[in-house]
Parts: sequence; C-alpha cells; structure tokens
Amino acid sequence: MLAENPSSQQKLHLLPPDRCRDEALIEMRDIVKTFKTPDAEFTALKGVTACFFKGEFVSIVGKSGSGKSTLANMLTGIDHPTSGSVRVENTHIHKLSENEMSRWRGKNLGIVFQFFQLMPILTLLENVMLPMAFCNNCGAVEREKRAMMLLDLVGLANMADKLPAAVSGGQQQSAAIARALANDPPILIADEPTGNLDSRSADEVFDIFTNLVEEGKTILMVTHDPGLAQRTHRTLLLSDGELINPWVAQALPDLSHSHMLWLTHRLKAQTLPAGVSLPAPALFLVTAGNLEINNHHSDNGFGKIAVRPGQASGGALHRLNGNSQPGWQVSTGSPVEILTLDDTDLQSWLENDSAVSHSLAKDILLPGVKVIDVAGQEHAAAGDNFQEESR
Amino acid sequence: MARPRTQKVFSDLWGNPQRSLLVLASIVVGLFAIGVVGTIYVIGPQDMRVSYAATNPANLTVLATPFDRCLVNHIEEMPGVRQAEGARTFSTRLESEPGKWIAIDMKALKDPGQMEINQVRLVEGVWPPGEREIVVDQYRLEDTNAQIGDLLTLELPSGKTRQLKLVGVVQDLSIGANGDPGGFFNSPVLGYITQDSLEWLEQPLPKQYNQLFVTLEGDTENPATLEAAAQAVREEVKHCDVEIISMVQRSSTEHPNLYLVQAILAVLVVIGLLVSFLSGFLIANTLQAIMNQQMQQIGILKTVGARRLQIAGIYLLLSLMFGVLAYLVALPLSLLVGFQIVDYLTVQINYVFYGPRVVLPVVVLLAVIAVLMPQLSALLPVRQGTRISVQEALSGYSQSHPPERGWLDHQISRLRNYSLLLVVSLRNTFRRKGRLLLTLVTLTLGGAVFIATFNVRISLVQYVDQIIQYFLADVNITLDRSYHIEEIEEKIEEVPGISMVEGWMFARTELIMDDGSIGESVSLLAPPASSPLIEPILVDGRWIQPGDRNAIALSELFLEKFPDLDVGDTIRLRVNGKETDWVVVGFFQMGGKVSGYSAYTSYEYLSELVHQTGRAMGYRVVSQQTDMTLEQQNALGKAIETHLGQSGIQVIDISTGKSLTQKASDGFTILTAILLFLALLTAMVGSIGLAGTMSLNVMERTREIGILRAIGATDLSLMRMVLVEGALIGIISWLMASAAAFPISEIMSDSITLALFGSPANFAFTPTGFIVWLVIVLILAVLASVLPARSATRLTIREVLSYE
Repeated sequence: MLAENPSSQQKLHLLPPDRCRDEALIEMRDIVKTFKTPDAEFTALKGVTACFFKGEFVSIVGKSGSGKSTLANMLTGIDHPTSGSVRVENTHIHKLSENEMSRWRGKNLGIVFQFFQLMPILTLLENVMLPMAFCNNCGAVEREKRAMMLLDLVGLANMADKLPAAVSGGQQQSAAIARALANDPPILIADEPTGNLDSRSADEVFDIFTNLVEEGKTILMVTHDPGLAQRTHRTLLLSDGELINPWVAQALPDLSHSHMLWLTHRLKAQTLPAGVSLPAPALFLVTAGNLEINNHHSDNGFGKIAVRPGQASGGALHRLNGNSQPGWQVSTGSPVEILTLDDTDLQSWLENDSAVSHSLAKDILLPGVKVIDVAGQEHAAAGDNFQEESR
Repeated sequence: MARPRTQKVFSDLWGNPQRSLLVLASIVVGLFAIGVVGTIYVIGPQDMRVSYAATNPANLTVLATPFDRCLVNHIEEMPGVRQAEGARTFSTRLESEPGKWIAIDMKALKDPGQMEINQVRLVEGVWPPGEREIVVDQYRLEDTNAQIGDLLTLELPSGKTRQLKLVGVVQDLSIGANGDPGGFFNSPVLGYITQDSLEWLEQPLPKQYNQLFVTLEGDTENPATLEAAAQAVREEVKHCDVEIISMVQRSSTEHPNLYLVQAILAVLVVIGLLVSFLSGFLIANTLQAIMNQQMQQIGILKTVGARRLQIAGIYLLLSLMFGVLAYLVALPLSLLVGFQIVDYLTVQINYVFYGPRVVLPVVVLLAVIAVLMPQLSALLPVRQGTRISVQEALSGYSQSHPPERGWLDHQISRLRNYSLLLVVSLRNTFRRKGRLLLTLVTLTLGGAVFIATFNVRISLVQYVDQIIQYFLADVNITLDRSYHIEEIEEKIEEVPGISMVEGWMFARTELIMDDGSIGESVSLLAPPASSPLIEPILVDGRWIQPGDRNAIALSELFLEKFPDLDVGDTIRLRVNGKETDWVVVGFFQMGGKVSGYSAYTSYEYLSELVHQTGRAMGYRVVSQQTDMTLEQQNALGKAIETHLGQSGIQVIDISTGKSLTQKASDGFTILTAILLFLALLTAMVGSIGLAGTMSLNVMERTREIGILRAIGATDLSLMRMVLVEGALIGIISWLMASAAAFPISEIMSDSITLALFGSPANFAFTPTGFIVWLVIVLILAVLASVLPARSATRLTIREVLSYE
C-alpha cells in the first residue's frame, strides 16, 4: 500500500510482511543489537523491522545515539545482530562468517564512510582499483580503465594520481564513492557521507547519489541532516533504537522523536468503510483514503475540512486551546484507513507534557484551533488554511 | 588516589600489554647483554687469578737434567726463594682402547700429599695416589675412556705394559704454565704418581728429579723480581753441575690461559656495547611509535592547560618506569646467565668458579644504564611529540608538510597493474622511513655480527690450519732414542703404502740475551733442508735452504717480543748446554702465541752440532695415498708402530697430521661457542626490532585493516600483504647485513687472532652464515608479521572502526 503525500516527494511503505519478504531487495526482521559494557548492557536496536526495495534512495535519520549507524552496520555486515535476521537478495548475511562477509561485501555492497576511510598510501586511482583487486574482477589493465571511468564520473579524473591527503574533503568523499562503485554493486550504504563536509561539497556528493539512483542503484544513507533526508525517496526515523511510524513522522513532524515514538507504540490501525459518519476519534492519522472532519454545531463558526493521507486531526484536539468542544464528526466517501489514539491516552499525554500541545497544534488539521506562544501571541493552527480552501 | 598524571602513566604502562612488552623487551635485551658481559668480565678473570694463586703456583719452572733432593734444598735456602720442590716428569703412552695408544705426561712426586707448589684440587676420588696408583687431571680424562677404579695400562720403556689403578681425578691449574707449545689446549693426558712407582714403571734413576718448581718472595708480579730470581737460580743450578733444558717465569696470578680470556673479553665487550647500542635504537623506535599513538591525547592535554614540559614529564616518567621494570627483569637474568657461562668455562679454561655472588659493579652499572638508556632514547621522540600543535594532534593532519610522492612512490606505482596488493605492501614498508631505518640498522648490524661469527670461525680454523703446513706428513713418529735414519727408513718402507720417510731432529733450546742472561725457551725443529713436508708461511725473509750452516727461521712471536729483531741479525741459543750463534734468515707464521717460541733450522747442521749426524728420534712418514682421512692416517700409524715394534724399535709417540689440527681447533670451541651466544644475542636484538616494527605497523593500521575488510579483503589477502611487508624488510636487511658482514668479519677476525696469536688472520668467509641468517630472518619476518596480523583480523570491523 503506497500513498503519496502532495507536500513531499516521499513515498511511505506499510506493506504486509509477506509482500516485504517477496519483493524487498533488503529485509531486516526483528533486529536486536545489544552491547555489553563493563558496567551494564546497552541495547542499541530494539526489534527493528524494515525493508528496502530496488532503486530506492532511503535516508535513515535519528539523533546521536538513536542507533542509526548501528542499523547501517547491520546492513553492511560490519556488525552482527544479537538476534533477528538480515536478508540481502538471497543471502542471509547475518549468518556469514567474517571472511565470507568480506568476500560478499566486496562484490555486492559499496560502503561510503563519514570520514572517507581512503588508504592514505595509495593514490585516488589506486584506492578505486583496490576493491577490484580483492575480488579479482577483470584484468589489471581493465581495472585501471574502469577506475579512471569512475573517477571521471565523480569529477576527479584529473586528480587520479594524487594522494588523499592532497585533495579536499569533498574530493576525498567523491573518491570514496567511486571506490564504493568499483565492483558495480547494486547497493550502496552511506553512513553520514556528508557529515564531514561543507554544504557545497555535501550538495555535490548528494547529487552523485541522486544520479546513481536514477541509474538503478539502491542507496541507503544514514544522516542527521533532515534537509538531505527530505530529498530522498523515503525516510526511516530512528529514536532510541526503534523505528518511528513513518505516518507519525509525516503527519506530526513538529513532535519530538520521543513523542513520535510514544505515539508509534499507542496508535491503533482502523479501517472506516465508505459512506459513514461517526464521532471523530480523539486523535487520528489518515494512512489511505480521504475523509472530512466537521462539527455539527455549525453555528459556532467551525466548518469542515478534508484530511488526506499523511495528515492528522482529531475530535478532542480543541483541548489544545483550552476548550472542550464536543460534536466533531468524520465522514467518508470511500474506505479510509486511519491510525487512532483514544481519548484517555490523549488526555494523559497532554496533561503530562505541555510541549506536546504546542507541537500538535502546529501540525493538526482542525478549524478554529489557535496556538498561544510563550509571548502570549495567538497563531492560527495548521487547519485554518485548509478551512479557507474548503470554503 | 594517585594524581591524574601518575594515573595516566600507569594506564599507559598496563593499558597496552603488547606494546609495553615490546618496550620492555627492547630495554631488557640491552641490559641483559651488558649484564652478562659485565658479570663475565668481573668474575672470570677475578676467579682465574684467585684460583690460580690459591694453588701456590711456581714462579720458576725449570726442566733440567736429573738432579736430587740436595739441589732442591739448596735452592730453597737461597735468599728470595720462598719454597722449592722437585718432581720427575716423563712421557709415555696409555692404552685408551684395545690397540689404541695415546700420549700421557706423568708427574711423579715424592710425597704428593705434601705438595706445596702447584697444588691440585681434588675433583673426584682420592688424593694423593698410593704406590702403583694413578690420579688423572680432569681435562683429558675423557680421552682415557676410564673412570675411578679402572686400571690404566701404561707402556714401559722396554715395551712391556703395567697397569695402575685410577683412584682420583684432580684439577691442575698449572697445566700450560711451563710454556709448552699449545699450552693447556694441546696438552696430553696428565697423570700423577708417587716417586715410589717409578722403578716399577722402569724409569731410570727413580730417586732423581728432572723438574724444579720455585716460588719467590717479594713482588712476584714484577718481571724484574722474576728475572733476577731466575738468574740466581740458574747460576746455582749450574753450580751444581745440573744442566737446565728450559726455564719459564710466571707471576703468581697470571693464569696460563689468561690470554684466551682476554681475547674473549675483548670480543664480549665490543658486542655487549653493540647490543646495548642497538637496544637504544629499538627503544627510540618503539617510544616514537607510542608518541604517535598518543598524539590525540597530547592534543587533549594541551587543550586542558598542560604545558610542554609537563607533558614531556609524563612520558619521561613512563620511560623511567619501563627502565625500572626492565632492570628488575634483566639484572637477575643476566647474573644467572653470566654465572652459568663462567661456570661452563671453568673446565674449558681450567680455573675454579667460586660461586654466584653479588657483582656490585654490574648491579650499579645496570641501574645507571636502566635509568639513562630509556631516558636518552626517549628524548627525541618526546621532544618531537610534545612540540606538535593542538590542531595537528587532534586532527591527525599536519599542515606544515603536504604529502608528496617521491621517486620511489612513482616506481612502486608501476607495479599496480601487476599486483595492487604488492603495491600496498611496498608502500607500507616505506611508509615510516624513520622507523624503517631504525629497524634496518638493528637488523643489519645484528645480522652482520651473526654472519661474521661464522666467518670468524672459518678464519680461526684456517689460521689454525696453517699449522698443517708444517706437518704435511700423514704420520709423525717419535722413537725412544736416536736411530740411524737409513735403518728406520728401510724398516718403515716395508709397510705397504709408504711413499716417503724423513728423519727430523728436535731440540729444546734457550735464548741467550745480549747481556748473557737466559731468555725464552725455544723449540728448535730441524727437517732436512730440502724437505717437501713443510710449506712455511713466511712473513719476512726466506726459509732454510740446502747448504745453510747456522741459518735459523723464527716464529712471528719473536717479532712481538723483540720488535727490533730483523732478518740478518744474529741470535744466540743454548743447544744441549752449548751456546751457539745463529743467523736469522726469515720469520714465519705458525699459530702465534699458541705455538710458542719455535724455530727451524736444517737437519744437516743441527745433527752435526749435536753430534748426531745420520741419526734421528723423529720421523715423518708420507703415504702413497693422497688426502687420507684421519681414520686412514691412524690405521697407517698403527701399522708402522706394530712393524717397528716387531723389530724391537720402540715408538714413544705417534700422531697423525689431521689430529694435530683437530686438537688445535678444539681449543677454539669455547671461543666460537661464546661468539655464537653473542651472535644469537645480536640476532635477538634484530628480531625484537623486526617484531616490534611489524607489530607497531599493524597496530597503527588496525583501522585501515578494518576498511580493507569492509571493501572486500579476506583474512588471507590481509595476511599476505603484511607477510610481504615483513619479508621485504627482512630481505632488505639481509642484503645490507651481508654487505656489512665483510668488514665486520675482518675486524672481528683480526681482533681475535691478534689477541690469541699476536698477528691478524687472513680474511675468510663461508656461505653458511649468510644462508642461516637468511632463513632466520625470513622466519622471523613471517612470525613478526603473521602474529600481529592475526590478532588484527580477529577484531570485528566495528571494533576497529570504533563506530559510535
């Protein structure tokens, strides 16, 4: 089931597990990773399940310590899960030995590191040739030709004989990308590839990635930069070792990650048939179909608005400006799939954390809701714009 | 709780055991070498002097025509004489195996139990022997194939045999003190009997002595005292109508084999210093690597306010602690090994070891070096490390020197189409040129000394083999008396396979000095002037020629003692009691000090001089078969002896050409054993250097190894890369060591032979040392590379990349 949100280019996946298994290029299932330290155990990943499809450009975003690099390590085989499985095409990489993993990785995966990790004693050309030498791909002369072609692809043909320390960070990263492509792997994993670059170099690197995706590569990129993440096909948001529901991230982007995660744990899926009108859930997110939310007491000045996939609303959200306004209804013209939070949970959430109200108010679609900031100024909620459109 | 700075030092010490062990090993090996050498240097000569002096050694040893007790008493009453004793010595043969006879020198004393001069030390059994019993010196006991309680069969002058019971084994430290050529190492079996056994052994004049031992009062270390006493004794002996055949002077502490120990010590000191020097290189190398690894920490220290001197203090304290730890390990170890070596040498060089003890000079010296060496070695790396800027330290990038590719890098690049992995190995080999240089220096010098040891051994053997030039006969025979040469030649030629027989003369003479005093004892050999059985190695002048009358050729030792002596000069010798003048026609080389003062003249002239024309006691026999083995020569000798015996002609000594050189070579076994020990020590230094370098190289590249695995390198390809790097360093060092081995071999050979023989050796080399070192260095290179590479490949990539 795929939905498009007009406000971004991103696609959101919520496929049933069997379809994930059948169609995905990469499948991660119930990945747990626990690190043992002298003082205690620390679980970096707490049962992550995700899949990735051919030709996708996916960003993995999260704050420092969220587990995104650990997740990337699971995908590259640099580290192994404590439990769970990782399948790439037909290979269960979590079962491979270190040696087998090295061999597999050389042929099937290209890795781009944050700190480039080029061999300092080899020229850029030689660095790019190195993976081919390990995998014994093609003859020596052809290796050099291919390496030059790859360097040309990333704009470094004239720097081929330079040592890494003699070129800029952006150029080193470009060379690292060329190295990652040496054996023409179908998948590239990039861990904070722009983390050590200035914005211009970061843009250049990102453009290279975009071009590669257009050529059919699958790229998974770990990043802390939400701006870059937005430019990918899809974003996985990690918080405290768990994946945040992408609909939550899409619909309520102003929530903190911990709030999003809280919500991820508590939302329940529900399907509304076509042609019904019923009391609006306290808080809901639309994941498929369209519905309208309105208030029957129309004389109070509230109208109705459409809520589309990737958007949030809710009948209890008037509490955000201190009012309790009953009577909100949702009506469907076609089957609609939603994620709902019941009133009790919402109530306790709002009461326990005052910051939630502020963030929710920015994102929800509900006519007449106003947000009062710390200076005491009133602002219209997000829904007011739509209210104008629907009128 | 320790101060943070001190805590850091301890953390650095214990935090990386492998690295710390490397530093410790580097210091320990240098301290160990100094400790061992120092122990031997202090204890060896000390115990030699003390143990020799404890035997109350003779200051004058006189060999004379038979004399009685009366002369001994007379000499003892002379002013300046402390004690005098007489002994009867003679040579005969002992049956070591059925049909095999070996030479034995016998010493008969009136009352061995009351012997005051040249006292012996009981090793096993009983002392003194009773009548018809014998005690043997331990050095050649093995040659007798006998043990306490066995009966030894001796040959009598009549040809009959008698058996004496072996009742004891002693150690006689005076062996070699009488100035016989070859001294202790060439000495035959030495047996001690009572004078009462002489008649039973058919010795003539059983109540008379032929050897006088005299100890003196006053300063016996002073040659003038000895010389004066020698003259007085000589006059007195002459006065009693006794003829002196030879007289040797010796101080009370000058052990006969001291010259050998001095030669060994000279080599030991040089190599000990070399090992320490190399150890300093190792320490500097390793500490430099530590500083490199600590770069980031240094940057952090600077950011929190540490000044350069404070940071330097931390690392100098660390190196001091390394020094202290190394001292605690090296001191007992070196003393232990030093004592073991000193103990081992007691039988080989004939002295007594008085047991392990505190060797204060070594304890103090090692302490000083343990403190100073690491500190001095650390100075430069610490200085360089603490000078780095915070930015460079934290980022790891140097702004001052942008990287450039040199000529070597470009040449290496040419190989990338052949094997890129080889390029990686080559680049890694030359990556840290300073460290590579230090490693190569230690490996090269260590290897060169190792190889040189083999070459020195060959040089020594070849030098000793020179002696064979003077004994080209297959068999050398000494009869019980002079016979007509023609008669003996005819008899010997009846034995099948004989090609040639020559009669030679021999005389013990004394040099008469310009002032008329008696000088050195000189062994005078007289082959026929045109004898083909001698091929002298001349250092000056010419050899004896047919027609020469009083011509004499002298051994090179004369040049050392009498530097003004020249070809054409005249010397005076007392031959058979008669003083005669001789014209020096040449000087020859024949084993230097080992062979003693020897000279050659023509048989024709000497036989005429001593009224023995046409007669001789000594004969040289050549077989028709060339290049006989030792066994073949022995068999021929036995056949000749049997045949002569059947004709009633008694042989009192028979030796083969090859056995003479083998005996001389055996004497150098000790020296070469010590040389080999030191060679192994220098090789160990080189090995630690290589192991350390490879270990550090791999440790520093752990992250790169992780990256290589991340881009497809298997364990095997990683191992190969590291192995090639190690092997490259090994091979380069081998080539350099091989080149350096030539001059070092020459220097070592010359030093040793000068100390031993008084003249430098001709340089010789053998491929054995080169090949053995190549194998060792390659094995070391493999081990030094594989072990750290294995531990690096065992780490997970996540660990080495240190993600999050």
